Amino acid sequence: MKLASALMAFDARIKWIIIGLIGWVLFPWKGLEYGIFESTQSEIFEAYAWQGVNTSLISLFSLITLWIRPWRSLSKALLIDAIISIGTFIVVLLTANYAKESLGYGSAIQLIVLLGIFSLTLARMGFVQGDPYMTTAIVFVMASIVVFVLFPILIIFSKVIIAEDGTFTPYLFFQNVTGFGVFRTLKNSLVMALLVGALATFFGLSFAIFTVRVTKRFSGLTRIFSMLPIITPPFVIGLSLILIFGRNGTINDGLIFLFGDGGLFTGEQGWFERSPYIYGFWGILLAQTLSFTPICYMLLVGMVSTINPAVEEASVTMRATPTQTFLQVTLPLLRPGIANAYLLGVISSLADFGNPIVLGGDYDVLATEIYFSIVGAQLDYPRAATLGILLLSFSLLSFTIQRRWIGKKSYVTVTGKGSGGFFQPLPRWVRIGATTVTLTWMFFTAVLYSSILLGGFVENWGADYTPTLAHYEELWARGMDYGAWPSFITTLQFSAVGAPLTALMGLMIAYITTRRQFVGRKMVDFSAMISFAIPGTVIGISYVLAFNTAPILLNGTAIIIIISFIFKNMPVGIRGGISALSQIDRSLEEASLTQRATSIRTIFTIVLPLLRPALISAIVFSFVKSMTTVSAIIFLVTADTQVATTYILGRVEDGDYGPAISYGSVLIVTMLIVILAVDKFIGRSRIERGQAPG
Amino acid sequence: MNDNQSSGVELKNVVMKFGEHTVLHNIDLIIQPGSLTTLLGPSGCGKTTILRLIAGLELPTSGQVFLGDEDVSVLSASQRDVGMVFQSYALFPHMTVGENVGYGLKMMGIVPNERTERIKESLDSVGLDGYQSRFIDQLSGGQQQRVALARALVLKPKVMLFDEPLSNLDSKLRRQMREDIRRLQQELAVTAVYVTHDQDEALAVSDEVVVMKEGGIAQQGSPKHLYLNPDSKFVATFMGDANIVEGEVSNVGGESKIKIGDIEIAADSSEHYADGKTQIAIRPEALSLIRSTTEPSLQGKVLSRAYIGASTEYRVKVNGNELFLISPTGSEEFEIGDEVHVLITPPGISPIPD
Repeated sequence: MKLASALMAFDARIKWIIIGLIGWVLFPWKGLEYGIFESTQSEIFEAYAWQGVNTSLISLFSLITLWIRPWRSLSKALLIDAIISIGTFIVVLLTANYAKESLGYGSAIQLIVLLGIFSLTLARMGFVQGDPYMTTAIVFVMASIVVFVLFPILIIFSKVIIAEDGTFTPYLFFQNVTGFGVFRTLKNSLVMALLVGALATFFGLSFAIFTVRVTKRFSGLTRIFSMLPIITPPFVIGLSLILIFGRNGTINDGLIFLFGDGGLFTGEQGWFERSPYIYGFWGILLAQTLSFTPICYMLLVGMVSTINPAVEEASVTMRATPTQTFLQVTLPLLRPGIANAYLLGVISSLADFGNPIVLGGDYDVLATEIYFSIVGAQLDYPRAATLGILLLSFSLLSFTIQRRWIGKKSYVTVTGKGSGGFFQPLPRWVRIGATTVTLTWMFFTAVLYSSILLGGFVENWGADYTPTLAHYEELWARGMDYGAWPSFITTLQFSAVGAPLTALMGLMIAYITTRRQFVGRKMVDFSAMISFAIPGTVIGISYVLAFNTAPILLNGTAIIIIISFIFKNMPVGIRGGISALSQIDRSLEEASLTQRATSIRTIFTIVLPLLRPALISAIVFSFVKSMTTVSAIIFLVTADTQVATTYILGRVEDGDYGPAISYGSVLIVTMLIVILAVDKFIGRSRIERGQAPG
Repeated sequence: MNDNQSSGVELKNVVMKFGEHTVLHNIDLIIQPGSLTTLLGPSGCGKTTILRLIAGLELPTSGQVFLGDEDVSVLSASQRDVGMVFQSYALFPHMTVGENVGYGLKMMGIVPNERTERIKESLDSVGLDGYQSRFIDQLSGGQQQRVALARALVLKPKVMLFDEPLSNLDSKLRRQMREDIRRLQQELAVTAVYVTHDQDEALAVSDEVVVMKEGGIAQQGSPKHLYLNPDSKFVATFMGDANIVEGEVSNVGGESKIKIGDIEIAADSSEHYADGKTQIAIRPEALSLIRSTTEPSLQGKVLSRAYIGASTEYRVKVNGNELFLISPTGSEEFEIGDEVHVLITPPGISPIPD
């Protein structure tokens, strides 16, 4: 105890150094090829820093000099501290890279300690108003962004301009772009994205008009729409389309029964043959439209309901008919929302991996071609990188347009003040149209989702509709080491570890970018933007390329999967954080500061309690999104780190639709339970009124 | 509660920049201990920035801030001995009234028993003892304002800062609250700095008013002095209504005379003005109308009149200028087009050299 209190008495810099020294002694410096649990004792022993002359000595030396600080009396002492700590950080990374030595736990601790000391020094030099806690948080956020967002993207780019032998060959990129099939794939992706954007927006708009302006009876629809895209694993819609429209799907069966060989209405020679029409263009189009309509709806429903009724009243008093009012006033007011929804649809379609991979057929799109370039015997990394760059550029482009150009244009007021007045009735054709579209879509969705739920309970959909529990038995009843259990448990573990980290990272970024002024804020802003737009497939391929070699060798580990969850789902936390923070008056924090609370206590006593609902929902959503993620991690999983989605995809590839579907429905139900349970829990919280009064 | 621990505030050569934008230019400001000083000015003039610099919520780009004799320029807000009342009140919505008021005491490590005692004392001083366990959203706007005041007072700070504290209240409540704030400030003899853009409020509560303009101090003085002797057109027109006319100052034997048209008036003896032609600001109350007179006067014609209850406002055309004046109800009334004489009676006549 005495030792502990003696340690507490040291200032923060010395504490960091002590941690660093302990880490240097106790943890293996070099990366272990088989991980710390699978390696033999001698392998671990050999990886220790004190086993020989190596990079670790530089770090050790720096820590010791930082403790003694022989330069402490100099006027530039702080600057020297900063240069030594960050310099050693860079040197350790560079030498490890040069020596092709992968870093282990010991060196990771070392790097963290060096960053910690660097942060404290920066704070003492006046960074972020001299606030050491904020400075540390900001430095670590920036470092992790550099390592896990910017560095992998840089690596993708380097792969297409640097040839295998290390020579600089900028024309390689053009060679790759003009290579076989690349142009066609790009065209396919863009055509699909533009069409899906238009369709999803049209349907989303119809539903929004229906729920806001035609009838309030289906107000539960909003709730369902907001949940569907979250709890539906990305390939499930595609899968259910196969059940309904596939070669052996319900529709084909019906058609064969009626019009096929020996059908009800035909003789020996039928008019109709089984056809794989759902695979390819039409299948993807249908699946993506179904998947992304709810997203567009959520965006548009807000806009439609905040239109000021007074402008429609004004239009009517000027002798406009309902149709004229709708076309000349209502629709134009929604223009920014429509454009926004459209671009969101485009981005979602470009990034979608799950639907094309189960339905793609001959219609190759960027997201899946990246994957096919490196699976199996292909291993064509430059091609994968080229496709990745194309995909990233187009989704960044769409995102930038959305944010810069349309994001700021809004004709509707969101002050929340009731402006009075009543909505004018919409023209008949709009009401009938919106109702028809919505009801048809609801029916269709109901059919699809019931096929998912029911599909797991029949022998073989399309061929044998005998009810059975065989698929569930195979997945769940053969012990914990068989069937779905290993991947299910892995999924829950990874998601459970990743979710709080994701939420924290997102909220932290939201906080520091909206509430703090510091050098490098633009970089954090920019990286946050990239994380919004980056397709999962690009994260996957960039991580494969970046973390497959020294110095940061993470591939094959669980860590890389959890990290990919964090950076793929971070936008959930950032969005939630930004909107929650905008509800919390900045003066609350300032009041706390003038009440003698330090910035870190302010965060714990004021900001976090008020952010609690946002924090909880960010954790839940990142948990759920992690469970359904497939694109980013399909590149990263190994036999040991198989998760639910990749397991299901594997079964789909083998044609085992029964087990795939039953597993899919279990996932959906699991996520539904999690969301509803937490919803109930948050719903009771009194903190939800997290607004400053007055 | 009166420990007489208040101290003055001094800003020395303070410059504040946000990026390229300079918000404050070389501010030198002294605020006397125990006084209530108002920072008054249009929005964007930098008055709130000065308040935040004193609180430590911003650090100056250059220059120094003193609380008493202590240089606090680089201390953070939590290290300074100030209490602040925010425009939005900034009451913590997840805490009760008692927890809000006791927050700073808790942060300072005051033991619970003493905390309870001091919370009670402080709430009592604003007339809200007994509300300790209420939540903030169960209070009216005026009560929230009082809790915010109690929370700032409970720490017995050396300096109290008020950032437009009354702007969210209706006008009746505002008058009541500003009297309460003034009373408490005088009882506790605490130095107070008060930011407002409302000149009536500034005149009513302050010992001293600092009028600000575009990041600089335009004029500083007692409310009466600023009203009657503005030294710039900006101050003259910002603090109430003023007629700006051409005139001339002459100093004869240590006495300044102001000449407007044919009328010669003795200037305020406490001021000194330079000789020569200049502009003169005249308060509407210094002007009066009369149908005929033998005294020196300006001749004019009534352009418009507006009856507003306690008085009648006239616009009169004199030598091509329009003069605005206020005549109390009960005095002689005039119709539009009437030929009138305008008399000028001090105080409220002030040369504005710029």
